[in-house]
Amino acid sequence: MADTVLQARHIKKSFVGVRALSDANFVLREGEVCGLVGANGSGKTTFARVVSGLLRPDDGELLLYERPVDLRSHLDAEQYRMAMVHQNLSLVPEMTIWENIALGREARDALGLLDNRAAAEQARGALATIGVGLSVHERVRNVSPDEKQLIEIAKALAKDPRILILDEPTASLDFHQVEALFGAVKLLKENGVSIIFISHRIWEVARICDRLVAFRNGETVGELDFSVHDRDERLIVPLITGREVKTRIRKSASQREREIAALQAPAPVLEIKSLSLDGGRLKNISLSLRRGEVLGLGGLQRQGQEEILMILAGYLRGFSGQILINGSPVSLRNTRQAIRRGIVLIPGDRQKEGLFLQHSVLTNLLYPKVSMHRGSFFLPTSRYRRLATEAIDKVSLVPPNPRLNVSQLSGGNQQKVVVGKWLTLSPTVLLLNDPTKGVDVGTRENIYEIISSLTAQGASVLLYASDNEELINNCDRVLIVFEGRIVKEIGAEEISEEKIVVSSLNVEHTGEEAETGNTR
Amino acid sequence: MTNRRYLRELLQDSSFPSFLMLVLLVIVNAILQPNFFSYQVFRINFLTFTPLILVSLAQATVILVGAVDLSLGAGISLVTAVMASLMGDSVLSIVLVVLLGIGVAVFLSLFNGFFIGIIGPPPLIMTFATSTIWFGAALLLMPHPGGYIPETYYGLYTASIGGFLPTPVAVLIVAMLFCLLLGRSRAFRHVYAVGGNEKAARASGINVTATKIFAFLVSGVFVAMAALCVVGQTATGDARSGQGFTLNSVAAAVIGGIAFSGGKGNYLGAAMGGIILGLLINIIYFANITSFYQEFMKGVIIIVALLIGAVPRLRRGATRH
Repeated sequence: MADTVLQARHIKKSFVGVRALSDANFVLREGEVCGLVGANGSGKTTFARVVSGLLRPDDGELLLYERPVDLRSHLDAEQYRMAMVHQNLSLVPEMTIWENIALGREARDALGLLDNRAAAEQARGALATIGVGLSVHERVRNVSPDEKQLIEIAKALAKDPRILILDEPTASLDFHQVEALFGAVKLLKENGVSIIFISHRIWEVARICDRLVAFRNGETVGELDFSVHDRDERLIVPLITGREVKTRIRKSASQREREIAALQAPAPVLEIKSLSLDGGRLKNISLSLRRGEVLGLGGLQRQGQEEILMILAGYLRGFSGQILINGSPVSLRNTRQAIRRGIVLIPGDRQKEGLFLQHSVLTNLLYPKVSMHRGSFFLPTSRYRRLATEAIDKVSLVPPNPRLNVSQLSGGNQQKVVVGKWLTLSPTVLLLNDPTKGVDVGTRENIYEIISSLTAQGASVLLYASDNEELINNCDRVLIVFEGRIVKEIGAEEISEEKIVVSSLNVEHTGEEAETGNTR
Repeated sequence: MTNRRYLRELLQDSSFPSFLMLVLLVIVNAILQPNFFSYQVFRINFLTFTPLILVSLAQATVILVGAVDLSLGAGISLVTAVMASLMGDSVLSIVLVVLLGIGVAVFLSLFNGFFIGIIGPPPLIMTFATSTIWFGAALLLMPHPGGYIPETYYGLYTASIGGFLPTPVAVLIVAMLFCLLLGRSRAFRHVYAVGGNEKAARASGINVTATKIFAFLVSGVFVAMAALCVVGQTATGDARSGQGFTLNSVAAAVIGGIAFSGGKGNYLGAAMGGIILGLLINIIYFANITSFYQEFMKGVIIIVALLIGAVPRLRRGATRH
């Protein structure tokens, strides 16, 4: 049996009043990839932060290379050649990629001055191992979120670690990037590096890990060794939830059709006619959305889906084309105009665009209402409070305490607040920008239940999701976007994973290109 | 292709707008001020520009790390008061007092740095508090402007090295060499990281506290250089001699493209910001505007400078996410 490189025994950790870890146990052996799974708020990230020295445990024992250690800071952890890839990125946007990768351990020449050439060379090498072809001289602020994630991974690899912790490394990556990352993981493993792999994507864990450990409510509840057990997702899910998951049963197309017809809308709620955006980011987009309908935007990442949502939400200007709400043309020059028309956006990056982390749940829920308030000088506080309580109820927030700061909630519950704050306005069109990124199975179902109840009341939804399964489970129709154009509409009867993937690659139109693309 | 990249980098550089501004002001100034391009005028201009540029560099350093220092001006005042009350005619006394002045300036800055780095009060409030302490101390030491500065000292400041290089310009060259060296240092890279994203810096294994203290130390060196120049320029100690520097330096740094939020900008920009402010004061003087309008015009022109700096950002904003 291989040597144990890391062992955690009965780790406990509480934050003001909230217990994050109550009894975490974990063993990592040399040269293995061990998965760490659990619902949101189960303590995975807290555990990773304890192990990497960013947090000190209240109680429990941590052993590295079979010796007890007391990590006072992440610097201590680095002494033991441990590196962590952070979920909340640790990059400095104004610096270049190579400067970021070198940050904290810059190469220096004989005189003690920075050796920029060596650092850039190292950075280039680290990026190459995970198959990223970016120029290392680019500034980090100019690259996309998935590239940032890859840079973050390269930064950890450049430290040449023996123990590597990957906290949700794939959340913002597309299929090819995940493959490249997995290639790098295998290579590291062959070189004897031990890896902790934290992910919500169960199939990834099943594929890449040798073993997995499951956390529930801050406790280690189970372990699965793939040398003994099958790599079967159905074995993993019960470990996470503690019960069999009941996935929401998708209503049949004809049933949905009847529901939408029952809402008796004469004109489409939203209509877009030949919408184009500067620089060819969108080309001649036309679509219409009926009352109560859930329309999906699918395709590869960054083909223009987000731009469509951003235009409708009033964020982007410089577009041409017509947007009609209930049959009459509207101008959407800023977010306020959009919100006033009942168009609301649930953003992908909730911490940055959706929440005031330091403010309470109550104030967060009421910001839309307060910002749209007109008339009296004073705000109708008691009515607002009631609205907020209702919203908390509707999204089933845990814990249902309006006084808590949003920063104290788990990721999934934060996302519920983002959804919940718009409920106070009764929106007519919901724009969802990858709303369940980094959210666990249970919360995901929860969020889609809320959405489904809203559509039953007559709200319409435009949904962009990077996860095809979400489109399949929730949409009445799916439009596939490719390089700023809609290349395919998939009707209710024919939505399937295969159909979406094939259309996303747009092979029907450029068959030859796709051929060569595979061999490259 | 690489040439193109450098051109793009240059145009996008945070100090590029201030460079355009500088060119514009030089032209206006040359029209208004007789013999602007003559050696004499050049020398005289830099007598007053140099302290302002040095203070701008000092302020830029602390802004880069994500702080601000409102005690720079009062610090300079205190150093001039100390120097003018102790300096004698002998060379030994001049050297000792200069060293003492440098020591005081660095100490004052480090005091702010240690407090802000270790205990962590908002730099704005912390340095406001220390500014009144420094001012008070300077007043105690020298209630009225005066003291004694020997001619050996101020004569050196107004002289030219080798007959062609004015001392203030030589001081600036030394300062810029220091900046170049800093640019290649690891600690200074960390200054950008801490100012750009403190959490990310910490997660990258950077000692944030030490980095903040380092920034204040560097700032203190620039303040010391500025104070020595002010003493050479005014030849007195004055508790109010540094008054205007504090906010002028903040304005100069921001005009020069240093982001007030930290982590962005460079020394060249800050230096240009300092020169821009100096030229502004010149222009107002030579345009024969009465002193009442001087302050008024200065404010208006600073806002115009800020607007020019904001143009690239506003243009990007049109397609912002």
